[in-house]
Amino acid sequence: MAAAAPRGLPPVPSASRTGFAEFSVRERMREKLKAARSKAESTFLQEDSSPRPRRLKSIREKKTQGRLDKESDKDEFREMQEDESHISSKVKFRDSTKKAKQKPPIQNDFPSAEEAYKFFTFDFDSEAERKKTGIKKRNELNHEEEEAEEEDAETHEEGQEEDETDEDVHLVKDDDLFILEQEAQDILVEKPAEYESYSEQLRKEKEFLFIPSMKAVPASQKMPENMQPRFLEDEGLYTGERPFVSPSNLNILENRILRQERGKEWFGDDGKILALPNPIKQSLTRPPIFSLEEGIEPELETLYRKAIKVTAANQYLVGSGDFQGPFQLDIDISGLIFTHHPCFSREHVLAAKLAQLYDQYLARKQKNLTTLLTDKLHALRNAVQCSIEGGDAAAPKPIAQQSIPEYKMEIRQTRRLRDAEQEKDRTLLKAIIKVWKEMKSLRDFQKFTNTPMKLYLRKEEVDQRLDEKAYEAEIQDEINELLEEYREEYEKKMEEYKAELQEWKSWKRAQKSKKKKKKKDLREEEESIDESDLGEEPVKPVPPKMVNSLEIEQQVREKVDSFRRKPGEPVLIPELVLSGSITPSELCPRAEVLRREDVKKRSSFIKVLFNSKEVSRTVTRPISSDFRVHFGQIFNLQIFNWPESLKLQIYETTGISSTTLLAELFLPVPETTVLTGSAPIEEIEFSSNQRVMLDHEGVGSGVSFSFEADGSNKMTLMTSGKVSNSVSWAVGEKGVPLIPPVAQQNTGIASALKSIDAIASIGTSGLTDMKKLAKWAAETKLDPNDPNNAALMQLITVATSGEARVPDFFRLEQLQQEFNFVTDEELDRSKRFRLLQLRNAEVAEFRNYKEVPLHEREISEKIFQDYEKRLRERDVVDSKHYLDARRAVVANYLQKVRESVINRFLVAKHHFLLSDLVNEEEIPSLGILGLGIFKLAEPKRPLKPRRKERKKVTAQNLSDGDIKLLVNIIRAYDIPVRKAVSKLQQPSKHSRSFNEMFTASPSAQSPGENIDWVLNQVLVRPFVEVSFQRTVCRTTTAEGPNPNWNEELELPFRAPNGDYSSHSLQSVKDEVFINLFDEVLYDVGEDDHERGSGIHTRVERHWLGCVKIPFTTIYFQARIDGTFKVDIPPVLLGYSKEKNLGNDRGYDSVRNLSEGSYITLFITIEPQLIPGESVREKMNEMLKKFDTQEDEKLLQAAEKYEAECTSKFPSRQCLTTVIDLSGKSVFITRYIKPLNPPQELLDAHPNSSQITAELVARYVALIPFLPDSVSFAGICDLWSTSDQFLHLLAGDEEEHAVLLCNYFLGMGKKAWLIIGNAIPEGATAYVLTLEQNQYAIWNPSTGCFYGQFDTFCPLKNVYCLISCDNIWFNIQEYDSPVRINFDTSKAKLWKSFFSRSSPYPGLSSIQPEELIYQPSDKAAVVELQGRIEKILKEKIMEWRPRHLTRWNRYCTSTLRHFLPLLEQNRGKDVEDDHQAELQKQLGDYRVSGFPIHMPFSEVGPLIEAVHSTGVHTIDIPSVEFALAVYVHAYPQNVLSVWVYVASLVRNR
Amino acid sequence: MAAGGGPDVFLVSVSGEIESGQFPGLDELYCKFCFVYGQDWVPTAGLEEGISQIACRSDAAAAALVWNLPLDITFKSTNPWGWPQIVLSVYGPDVFGHDVVRGYGAVHVPIEPGRHIRTLPMFVPESTSRLQKFTSWFTGRRPEFTDPRVVAQGEGREGGTIFKLHFSPNFCL
Repeated sequence: MAAAAPRGLPPVPSASRTGFAEFSVRERMREKLKAARSKAESTFLQEDSSPRPRRLKSIREKKTQGRLDKESDKDEFREMQEDESHISSKVKFRDSTKKAKQKPPIQNDFPSAEEAYKFFTFDFDSEAERKKTGIKKRNELNHEEEEAEEEDAETHEEGQEEDETDEDVHLVKDDDLFILEQEAQDILVEKPAEYESYSEQLRKEKEFLFIPSMKAVPASQKMPENMQPRFLEDEGLYTGERPFVSPSNLNILENRILRQERGKEWFGDDGKILALPNPIKQSLTRPPIFSLEEGIEPELETLYRKAIKVTAANQYLVGSGDFQGPFQLDIDISGLIFTHHPCFSREHVLAAKLAQLYDQYLARKQKNLTTLLTDKLHALRNAVQCSIEGGDAAAPKPIAQQSIPEYKMEIRQTRRLRDAEQEKDRTLLKAIIKVWKEMKSLRDFQKFTNTPMKLYLRKEEVDQRLDEKAYEAEIQDEINELLEEYREEYEKKMEEYKAELQEWKSWKRAQKSKKKKKKKDLREEEESIDESDLGEEPVKPVPPKMVNSLEIEQQVREKVDSFRRKPGEPVLIPELVLSGSITPSELCPRAEVLRREDVKKRSSFIKVLFNSKEVSRTVTRPISSDFRVHFGQIFNLQIFNWPESLKLQIYETTGISSTTLLAELFLPVPETTVLTGSAPIEEIEFSSNQRVMLDHEGVGSGVSFSFEADGSNKMTLMTSGKVSNSVSWAVGEKGVPLIPPVAQQNTGIASALKSIDAIASIGTSGLTDMKKLAKWAAETKLDPNDPNNAALMQLITVATSGEARVPDFFRLEQLQQEFNFVTDEELDRSKRFRLLQLRNAEVAEFRNYKEVPLHEREISEKIFQDYEKRLRERDVVDSKHYLDARRAVVANYLQKVRESVINRFLVAKHHFLLSDLVNEEEIPSLGILGLGIFKLAEPKRPLKPRRKERKKVTAQNLSDGDIKLLVNIIRAYDIPVRKAVSKLQQPSKHSRSFNEMFTASPSAQSPGENIDWVLNQVLVRPFVEVSFQRTVCRTTTAEGPNPNWNEELELPFRAPNGDYSSHSLQSVKDEVFINLFDEVLYDVGEDDHERGSGIHTRVERHWLGCVKIPFTTIYFQARIDGTFKVDIPPVLLGYSKEKNLGNDRGYDSVRNLSEGSYITLFITIEPQLIPGESVREKMNEMLKKFDTQEDEKLLQAAEKYEAECTSKFPSRQCLTTVIDLSGKSVFITRYIKPLNPPQELLDAHPNSSQITAELVARYVALIPFLPDSVSFAGICDLWSTSDQFLHLLAGDEEEHAVLLCNYFLGMGKKAWLIIGNAIPEGATAYVLTLEQNQYAIWNPSTGCFYGQFDTFCPLKNVYCLISCDNIWFNIQEYDSPVRINFDTSKAKLWKSFFSRSSPYPGLSSIQPEELIYQPSDKAAVVELQGRIEKILKEKIMEWRPRHLTRWNRYCTSTLRHFLPLLEQNRGKDVEDDHQAELQKQLGDYRVSGFPIHMPFSEVGPLIEAVHSTGVHTIDIPSVEFALAVYVHAYPQNVLSVWVYVASLVRNR
Repeated sequence: MAAGGGPDVFLVSVSGEIESGQFPGLDELYCKFCFVYGQDWVPTAGLEEGISQIACRSDAAAAALVWNLPLDITFKSTNPWGWPQIVLSVYGPDVFGHDVVRGYGAVHVPIEPGRHIRTLPMFVPESTSRLQKFTSWFTGRRPEFTDPRVVAQGEGREGGTIFKLHFSPNFCL
């Protein structure tokens, strides 16, 4: 309403507003409202009175026009009119217009319905409010007034609304003039109300509604047709208790179910709804909580408990505060019966046996298992019969069908059991009769009787006919069953047979057709084919045999005959009586009289021990003649301690003095329910292992005796017997059982549980007492068919029947299945699991794999690819990477050996010694203590400098950057010098002899030459570059051939994977490279005008040689200090070696001994690391555990020897046993044996033994060096024999040394193996020979030899010498070869393994008798040579990607000619020739280059060697290269490779 | 328990303290702790090793040595195998004032979240012989483990390397 325009406001108030401006707002409002009302009234009146609303409209139009000046009211109005047709339904009074049908359409002039409505329902108040706000601005009046006004206004409004409704009524009445376009008839349909008769309704409801009746359903409806309900419980099947449902509800349910289709499925065979047993327990399993106080939840209630004092030992019942009086245990010992006693006569023995058998018989009879089983058998047979017949009658039920074979199975089993029982009965009876007969014959024989025993056999006559009939029927039944069984088996076999036959036939047919074809083709080969075919022919299956029924019958009858009573035979019932008379002593022979007297002398008593303390003893009673002792005493033990053990000791006294303990037996502490009076007398057996021999009729104990005259059938009996006793708790005066309180509490436990829980009712110990358990089971009426009780029932039946039937199977870990959370296959498929397994197995690829992904999907297959590839290719030799197929095989083999070594090492790593785990100070020896004391007394000498030991650092707490390698390069000697290009030197061939070497004669150069040389000397400017782990450091450039740098270089060390543990450091493979270079400056200022302004030089570096030192050597040695020979190629083009001396003569004697260049170095690690020796020690420990074929004594001696040696000189390694390739320990001398070198080498220089020796050494050195234990730095060396070594063509120092030593021995030299320490190899093996009273030390891996006093000998320490028959350990003060005496005959200097006291046992060598050499394949060698050359050339071009590499063919071919020459001279003294030759051929070239010589194993090292010289680094534009390769083949494929590399620059 | 992006891992955050120790008859002890964990574990934050102050016996709390040394470390891992263990070693002066080991002990970090109190029995290796026992007592150089981590490892316990252990009592964590 508020939305309506203020159109409808009367103009009067607005006109009067100005006039009343001063009036209060209230007044004004009142005024206004009044005006509005009057106005409205007037208009209504007008409307009412005027029959034509047109006028009204016109009036209004005028009004509005008058008020709203320029508003185009007309348009709006039209719009409204249009709208009105849409919203007409909203308008209230419209409904009334329905009836006014005949009214003409409205004219424009008339006010529309909408218009009218708007008018009447106009909200004046909103207008008033609008005003108000305007007023508010002008007059500041309080709100209260305003509110009051508003209220007024509202009331007015309400009144107005009332008016409006009134008006509506009016309006409707005369609203005939309004019309609608749509007529009611179009929408409405008239229909009579629908009605269904009640009966109809009921009928319809009946169709889909159903009210189940409460009447019981007849069983016939619930069962399938023609079926009688079964009563399962009566049939012996377990049904369980059904949950209770009220019968009426049950009926409703049944009726409801039956209405459904297939409703019968809901019912079982018994005509009841299938239901599970009632799950509700009868009683609470949780003890109820009773609240004492009201208002508190019982769970939350607090209880006061008196503090309990804990006594030290609970067994003392006295200690507890609430002592309830003494407890009493009654022990009744009634008597003792000996089942065997030393004084038993033979008759007594038999009597005892008879009695025992009779007891057994009685027990069996009572149980009567045979009848039981027979009955069961009958019942089962009937059941089968019934089910088969029943199956015929009605539709066979699947269950019944199924149960028949089960029944049959049971029948078979029962029959077998029955037969067994019958057999036992029968044999027992027979045994009784046999013993009785023996006894009778014995009595007859000895003519007196000792025992009153008599056996009567009562015969029970039976009706022959009936018996026979039953017998036959039984046999027939059995035969039938057996027949059936056999038939089944036959059928099964027959089926198998048929299948097999089918297979065989088809094979046969195929064979025939094949044969036919072949026959046609080649008849001559027929025979051979036949033969070959026959071999594969499958065996023709044999049809199974049907068992003859007659045979079965015979079988059954035989069986039955053997253990069943024959028909008509009377039933024998034995009866044992003690009515016989005993012959009086007077009538007995003397021995018997003695026996009886002895028995009379004997008496016995029993001690009672409670908790191992004697509490009482019986009186001593004599043993009666029937070996029974009657005590009949009851001991009342008042106890305070909880009974732990109750023991009886049986003593026997003979005569007056001797008392012997016969036996001890333990009585069970009675259950708390066992009270005096109710306790049964129990018999407890005992036996003693006492050995008694008697000199009378008594048989003795533990002594063998015989009943037979000839002494056969010996038997030995031990003293044994039974004590009848009973133990029970006493009952006090008031009938209170005197049982300790712990037990009493137990009895007080809710008895309601008793019927449910066996344990609660009879106590846990009752579970072991089968009788009680059975009794309980019977009392509580356990349902034996309940599967829950199956285990219990079985236990009871097994226990009570006395013999457990052992099942046919044994199950190990029967619960394993339940604990497998995933199947094995699934587990195997899991990648993650596999990864973990491999890592755990420390497989190389996964050994240090970290962070195994959490999810299966995160593991990519790639992880396993490498590993699987390796596994696959383990046996596949891939010759692609090797130029030589043989080498590939060898590499593969070595890989395997290495793997096995690694595996062993890994095992050793997990093996810890005590010293690995615990740091313990050793016991200081007296010497050390004394020294310590002496040191205290030592005067202080502050001026004497003392070497301070560097602090050693354990490797554990180190990290990257902590360790530095310090290399101090001091000086070098005899560095090759540059040669003036133009100068041609006289070739001075020079070869040394041993004599020359040892006598140190001055060299033969003339002084004139010398001076000349000095004058023309071209400086060499050498510098040293040290590279380690890709860090390169260099010294400054010095000048001259004997430079002095004295510089310290510092290189950082980084351990692999940041692992600074000692074993990781030991396996660092990095080497320190010390390269010697010559820095050459060339003037390249080519133009003359440039020359004036500046100097333009080019620096070139020429490689001169290098020294390699492995890091592990530094690590183990802590520091390396010495002068080393620089590995310089035999020929350095453009350089010559200074042969003679310049100015400083001081080094004379030193230098002219040598011909190489030397460098003095000092290398150490900062800070000093403690070398971890533990791995080696452990490895040795482990190695001792390896297999060996050596004599145990020898090994022990070796161990002792080693221990002695190392205790004196811990730093010197003593080697007695080594490991061969198959992993066995071998005594070391077995490796040394004279062997023949290749004949070819011997023939080369037949007249000079020295050259031959050198040649042989060179041959050995040419066999590639391959450490078998790179990763463990000599921890576990595998020693291969020389033939294996030559076959593999790879080995480390030991193999080389052994072979060289063997060759020397073979050549008739005196030779030893030196185990020592050399630089840079570390622990190694060298060869010592005695040449013309001089000792020469041979380095087997280079082929060089040194005199004993050669200062540059790389061998630094000598530890032991090994010959073919002894080991000598160096016990001299020094171990440097220069300072020791090699005369092994001096026992003070050398400790020998075999001495006069323990001579050499003549150990056979493991080396072969003779080495056989295969000549090398020349063609292959030439081919290899070509390939290597090609590869190297390609590589050089590859290394120079930005430059053009030109090959000078002319030079190459010249170089190629040099190489064989070099090989011939073994690289000595040929350089001058080269230089001259090259100069001659090439003319004006500056040539620099050198040959590289290597033993051949693979191409890789060759490439590395060429690369390391840096020949390719020259970047002078006009440089040319030359490269030549020569491969020389020695026997057994030992190849010597020469690579000649040179760079040529044309001189200008 | 999982980190986005890279392979899934789970985090184990450990915080706690080495509260106190009961070493009857001993005083002025300090303790050292370190964590031992499997191959698949990586510490992401916190201290792996630490050493406490020297604690003196308090009169109040039943002769306990109170350290209150806080532990705070976070591991990430992909595999529960090798669950972190804390290894404690306690040292203190002997009669002559030498610093000797007084106990080693190890315990797994609890596998359930929440507050746990662990009491560790502590032990030290014994000298191999009586003479050595005497000399080590005299010189103050008693047998120690080369690496305290040994106590958290199963290796090296098999035959051959049996060491006698001397148990000294409890320790609260």
